[in-house]
Amino acid sequence: MDNFFDLVPLVVMIPLVGLLINLFAGRQLGERGVSIVAVGASGMSFVIAVLLWIAQVNTGYEAAVIDMPILSDWIVIPSANVTIPWAFRVDTLSVTMMLVVTGVGTLIHIYAVGYMHGDERFPRFFVYMNLFLVFMLILVTGNNFLMMFVGWEGVGLCSYLLIGFWFDKPGGVGWKNSDAARKALIVNRVGDFGLVLGVLITFWTFGTLDYYREGEAPIAHHAATDAEAPLFAPTLPGEEETHAVSGPLGVFNQAELWLEEGGHQVNFGMVSLSFETTLTVITLLFLLGVTGKSAQIPLFVWLPDAMAGPTPVSALIHAATMVTAGVYMMVRANVFYHAAEFSSFVVAVIGATTALVAGFIAVGQWDIKRVLAYSTVSQLGFMVAAVGVGAYAAAMFHLVTHACFKALLFLASGSVIHGMEHGHHHVSHGHSGHHDDDFDPQDMRFMGGLKERMPVTYWTYLFGTLALAGIIPFAGFWSKDEILLDSLKTGVDKGLLSGYVGFVLLVVAAAFTAFYMWRQVSLVFLGKPRHAAAAHAEESSRLMTWPLIVLAVLSLLIGFINVPSGFPILGWLLGEHQFTSFLEHSVTYAHAGTFSFLLATFAVLLALGAIYLARSVYSDRVLATLREDPLAINPRTQRAFALSSAKLYWDEFYFKYLIYPYRNAAYWLAEQLDWRFWHDYVHERLLRDPFNAATRALSGRVDKQVIDHSFDGLGHATRRIASRLRRIQTGYVHIYTMSVLFGALLVMILILLPLIRDWLGL
Amino acid sequence: MSGVPSLSDLNLAATLPVSFLALYACLLMIVDLFVPRTRKHITAGLTMLGLGIALVLALLPLAGAARFGDGERAFGGMYIADSFSDGVNVIVLITALLGVMVAYNYLDRIQRQRGEYYSLLLFTTLGVMMMGAAGDLVVVFVALELLSIPLYILSGFRRPQEASEESALKYFILGAFASGFLVYGIALIYGATGVTDFEGIWAAVEEIVAEDASSKYLLLVGAGLLLVGLGFKVAAVPFHMWTPDVYQGAPTSVVAYMSVAAKVGGFAALVRVLGSGMVNFALDGGLVAAWQDTVWLIAALTMILGNFVAIVQSDLKRLLAYSSIAHAGYMLIGVAAAGSAPVADEAARAVIMYLMAYAFTNVGAFAVVIAVERDDASNTGLESMRGLAVKQPLLAASMAIFMFSLTGIPLTAGFIGKWFVFKAAIAADLIPVAVVGVLTSLISAFYYLRIVWYMYFESGESEAHVPVPLAWAISIAAVGTLLLGIFPYLLSDMTHKITLAFGP
Amino acid sequence: MELTAESIVFLIMSAITLGGGLLVVSARNLFHAGLYLMVSLLGVAGLFVLLSAPFLAGVQVVVYIGAIAILIILAIMLTPSVTQLPAIFNRQWAFNLALAAFFFVLLVSVVSPIMGELGVDAWNADFTQKNPADVPADSIVNLGKDLVDPDKYMLPFEVASVLLMAALIGAVLLVSPDKAKADEGGED
Repeated sequence: MDNFFDLVPLVVMIPLVGLLINLFAGRQLGERGVSIVAVGASGMSFVIAVLLWIAQVNTGYEAAVIDMPILSDWIVIPSANVTIPWAFRVDTLSVTMMLVVTGVGTLIHIYAVGYMHGDERFPRFFVYMNLFLVFMLILVTGNNFLMMFVGWEGVGLCSYLLIGFWFDKPGGVGWKNSDAARKALIVNRVGDFGLVLGVLITFWTFGTLDYYREGEAPIAHHAATDAEAPLFAPTLPGEEETHAVSGPLGVFNQAELWLEEGGHQVNFGMVSLSFETTLTVITLLFLLGVTGKSAQIPLFVWLPDAMAGPTPVSALIHAATMVTAGVYMMVRANVFYHAAEFSSFVVAVIGATTALVAGFIAVGQWDIKRVLAYSTVSQLGFMVAAVGVGAYAAAMFHLVTHACFKALLFLASGSVIHGMEHGHHHVSHGHSGHHDDDFDPQDMRFMGGLKERMPVTYWTYLFGTLALAGIIPFAGFWSKDEILLDSLKTGVDKGLLSGYVGFVLLVVAAAFTAFYMWRQVSLVFLGKPRHAAAAHAEESSRLMTWPLIVLAVLSLLIGFINVPSGFPILGWLLGEHQFTSFLEHSVTYAHAGTFSFLLATFAVLLALGAIYLARSVYSDRVLATLREDPLAINPRTQRAFALSSAKLYWDEFYFKYLIYPYRNAAYWLAEQLDWRFWHDYVHERLLRDPFNAATRALSGRVDKQVIDHSFDGLGHATRRIASRLRRIQTGYVHIYTMSVLFGALLVMILILLPLIRDWLGL
Repeated sequence: MSGVPSLSDLNLAATLPVSFLALYACLLMIVDLFVPRTRKHITAGLTMLGLGIALVLALLPLAGAARFGDGERAFGGMYIADSFSDGVNVIVLITALLGVMVAYNYLDRIQRQRGEYYSLLLFTTLGVMMMGAAGDLVVVFVALELLSIPLYILSGFRRPQEASEESALKYFILGAFASGFLVYGIALIYGATGVTDFEGIWAAVEEIVAEDASSKYLLLVGAGLLLVGLGFKVAAVPFHMWTPDVYQGAPTSVVAYMSVAAKVGGFAALVRVLGSGMVNFALDGGLVAAWQDTVWLIAALTMILGNFVAIVQSDLKRLLAYSSIAHAGYMLIGVAAAGSAPVADEAARAVIMYLMAYAFTNVGAFAVVIAVERDDASNTGLESMRGLAVKQPLLAASMAIFMFSLTGIPLTAGFIGKWFVFKAAIAADLIPVAVVGVLTSLISAFYYLRIVWYMYFESGESEAHVPVPLAWAISIAAVGTLLLGIFPYLLSDMTHKITLAFGP
Repeated sequence: MELTAESIVFLIMSAITLGGGLLVVSARNLFHAGLYLMVSLLGVAGLFVLLSAPFLAGVQVVVYIGAIAILIILAIMLTPSVTQLPAIFNRQWAFNLALAAFFFVLLVSVVSPIMGELGVDAWNADFTQKNPADVPADSIVNLGKDLVDPDKYMLPFEVASVLLMAALIGAVLLVSPDKAKADEGGED
């Protein structure tokens, strides 16, 4: 079974092949061909992920490091003794991520086939989507921080390309789209800067970037067995393997060893820091990267705007996979975070605060996707906070469940938008005089009563909502409950402040979650249609509803993979904390949560209470005559709602104190340096004119004649060669006999090459 | 040694699957005389019974459940009963079982329902089994003839029809020609080493290499001629020309069987002779066997030519003929990899796994061709697959599985076979040929998937009929293809005991 | 170059073999070619005698000359239209010649280096076994024993018998009239 780990490069290569096919032959293939290639590539990646998973199970969860055959020496600087191989890591953590990325990715690809139907840049869309898969899978399968960084940057690029996918939409929308894309890119640069620095310091400290070397087992001492167990067991399991590896250890085991020794100093030229301090610096820098990619305070502002992209993109990149990369990275680096207590505290506070703030803002939004976007930010806050309180398994668990139900919610919202657009189309064609330029298919004020018009979407949406709100037995209940319980336990058992802070903030955030989700369900689906478009909305095509149904079922069932220990009946029926046990093989400090009946009841009652509250605020009577949000009218909640609606003036704050000053400086530089010197002189005189001439020649000759025809030409050439070969096949026995003789001659010459070489004296 | 040979000297028990089947085949031939012409299903049933028993006898030692006889050698080392021969036995017996299933209705339809068909099938199966178990070049030659001659006759089984007779004659003449090369090769090897048994050859080669004796060239030529003779059997380029003509002309049920069985025999012998007997034949202080370059070049040629010419075929049987040429190329990669001594065992395993996967897939694909073929052997064009998915969804789905497997798409047996072969090639540092293999696999997708396209995306009136034993064969083949693809460890567990090495 | 009696016999036998072969390919009458083939095979039988292998020589005469060559001649007589060939050379003669020459050179070049090892390095070499005691007096008996000795060639022998049976069935099948067709014809 070990052999099947060697499949892992295929996980990346297959989408790569898919995107290349679509890139070069997208136009020839047509919509159907493109979708078959793209969905097929994604699906095959999923199949391989499943195979890897099976292999993991069969080999007793041993991690494997697989070199890419061609790129095995990716970066080698012999003089500095630097070797960074392009190596894949198959362990339970990466397999989990592969399954999520490719599984949810495939469903979304299928959905996107329906959603993007008729778009003029259909092939390009799927090229980007597959490209995203490639980078995301590099990110999660790499065995060193540099590969993670490559993937990290790559997914950022895809995110940028896809947010701005409709950059040319008329009516000002296009501008907004490309602005949103740029905003995402720029904000993420800030985070990436932190990540780069973190990776560089890691390299400086350890001399390598590998997580673990090949054949090296994590030095494991599970906190799960005993929270108070000594951190370092006297004899390390997997010691034999560790010693079998020559050369330096991977970063995590090296860190463990240095921590155990104590007193290791890291020399940074003039300053020398203790190893613990270095780890704190590294983890804080990583955290900066996380706040960018996973949209945490203070860098979360890009994510809500990123919803300008097509809905499948929002679901895949900005809800299910890319934004969870930060969480994945911190779980991967759990050894660092476990050791760096201060960083963990910061992580917990940032995560919990983000969860609460985003939950609060979500209440005041009208755009259906924007609500979900803030909800995503909030849920990512949950995960980050879980990492902060040391509940790495819970964080990953929530990542998995969230990927399912949030993808579901986004896709369902896409279906709603599709339905609304369809309805609007119907209406404006039906009554030629009827015009309303204010109409926005994403604005919930125009919706209502879609329950009857779009039953599949409604029911699946309901499943997603209940899962997100944390109602038992939906997936969200299990994962959220585990995070809450873990934070509380961290506070009580270990006496850490982060636990208490996290717990209180997260409980409130959970209440907000249930509230804004039910508000959304009420506004969109319940009551009566408030606009003609809603009244004429139609259910989406089956290509779009099938993924919804699959995801809805997953949202219901996926939580059962990690039933907490001590849960009556289910724990016995399905096995206790299966998922955590699975992860423990690669996440050193993963530990299982026990079940607290009291807390679970409290959380469910809180969610139900919030839903009840939302139901009473947005009652049918209110919905029928909705002009303003009831919370905005009520004097007691007026100000809070305004604050929420204005997103806490976060963007404005950035504009006033960061962007304008920065821009003024930039203007000056641009005016003097760029325009006068660079543009006028260097660019135009020295570069532009010769370049223009070259381009004209290239575009005329090369592009049109060579590139365009090359693909057709390849096909023709293949056929021509083939038919020429066929002509040799005549059917006459003596010619065949001759060919056998010829062949024998060939074989003789080939096999006697050494002799012939001797003769010729070579 | 006592002058009087006794049965216990023979270690006859070790040859149980083969000796049982040989006896059974002879008995069946006599029993068949008493089976009336209208009730040949009795003969067919008895054939399947015998094959089934032999299959069980072959599976038992492979699964480690039982071991027959005393040690691996029988008949003074002429017969080797190890995991490799067990693997070969299992593959060819499964193929033969499927072959009988696909043949029964077909023979009825072409009105050639005769008991000899089944006897000949059993004899040729015996030949393949002997090739897998051969411990001596003389046995290889005799077994090869036992494998070939019934196949020549079976190719002409549809006798009044000209195409069938012509194909039999072509196959016979060219086959005899190739056998000549084989015998010549054996003679030269004997001349160079003074022995014909593999272990003796191995020891002699060791000596020749150590002394750098001048007989090394004689040995090389011998190996080359052997390669010609066996290369013909497995349809390797440039000895492949007979394949399309014979496959097209011969009765489809025969082709279904022989496209796999002849390959199993040929590759078993190639792996035995080259990978086991001459694996240490490294010249000039090299680490890999001197014949390796030749084999991998032939493999590359075979893959390239087979796949390219398959693209333009418009007849299903011809297309599958070229496809089988191409697949011979992939298996030859495994043989070539066996030329690096450290990889030899892995390569032998890879070849066995590939053959296993190929057996299910290819017999299945030909069985589908039988289903769409008309009684007068027409309607085997590609267009006969049009609209099959509408008329016969299960048949089309099976065909799609076979095509995916032949292409080597994951979750099918074909992928696993290719995977292991390429892996062995990479382990043997034959990266260029592995690359050629991957690229040609991509090309092969073009014509395999075109069939799938025809079945699912084009409308047409297909006229497939799937009577009972044929339906069994197709479903067994499809299930086998999927099963081996989804649970690859079935294959790897089956073969993990295979070792070929002689000496220390 | 010293000629012994053996080498003279050898040269004569070789001449018969090669000359016969040359005549086979150059005769325009196929019937004649068949006869020349018998001459050539006879030369080979003589070589076997020279090598102290009388049994093989006998087999050569009985099987090749007595059976195979006669069969060929019969076949030629049954197909009179191709008896007379229009030309000695066909279109591929040059290529075939080159091919044959290549194989000849090949064989000489791979066999000649080991001649020394075999103790055969000059024309005056003794073509018979050096020591007559080495020659098994009853080689036919040994051959017969070896064929059924389980440690020697029993297995190939058995397999060959099965093979012959299969070939027999095939032969019967190929020449037997298609009864199924005839039966149906009768019923119609």
